[in-house]
Amino acid sequence: MPKMNLSHFEAAFLFSLFTSVVMGIVTRKTDRERLLYGAYCFGCFLVALFAIGWVMRLGHG
Amino acid sequence: MAKHKAPKQPMPPLGTWIGPVALGWLVPGGGHFLLKRRGRGVLLLLSVTGMYLCGLAMRGAMFQPQSGDLLTTLINYGGFVGDVANGILYLLSVWLGYSQPDVAGHVHDYGTKFLVTAGLLNILAMVDAFEIAAGRKD
Repeated sequence: MPKMNLSHFEAAFLFSLFTSVVMGIVTRKTDRERLLYGAYCFGCFLVALFAIGWVMRLGHG
Repeated sequence: MAKHKAPKQPMPPLGTWIGPVALGWLVPGGGHFLLKRRGRGVLLLLSVTGMYLCGLAMRGAMFQPQSGDLLTTLINYGGFVGDVANGILYLLSVWLGYSQPDVAGHVHDYGTKFLVTAGLLNILAMVDAFEIAAGRKD
């Protein structure tokens, strides 16, 4: 299997995508709710990713 | 203020849910296929398998059950359970000789987390299959 070399952002993006799909499927009851919740989770992951990234950047000076 | 607890639901008979849960462990999304929820089954299969394959491609390490101090025991046993929860993906990797030492580097580190998280997501899918089989969810 070829080796993947991803940046922090790419790896965290993929992680968010896969996790949001499963979270959307297993936690809601209708397809519309699943889609909305999956998108909401994905958005939260991305906001947290950028926010924590900036906190670390500012923390390091 | 007193809290009202939801009444405890009785455990459904073993025969109604063991098949979907066991198949859900072996093949990610398999429980949903068995329960004729094909769309959800496909998405679960793609997500869990995709995450696991990314973990392998990033050369993530597999956890081995190992005891030591409390944190070491917790991490190693927890990680091992997460890896094993991938079902056939984990079994195939081990049978085919995948053995990646735990080395430094953010890509390997992400890979290890991808492998464990894929298993944990598969556990969520198994719980969902249980709830559908038990009639608690559509």
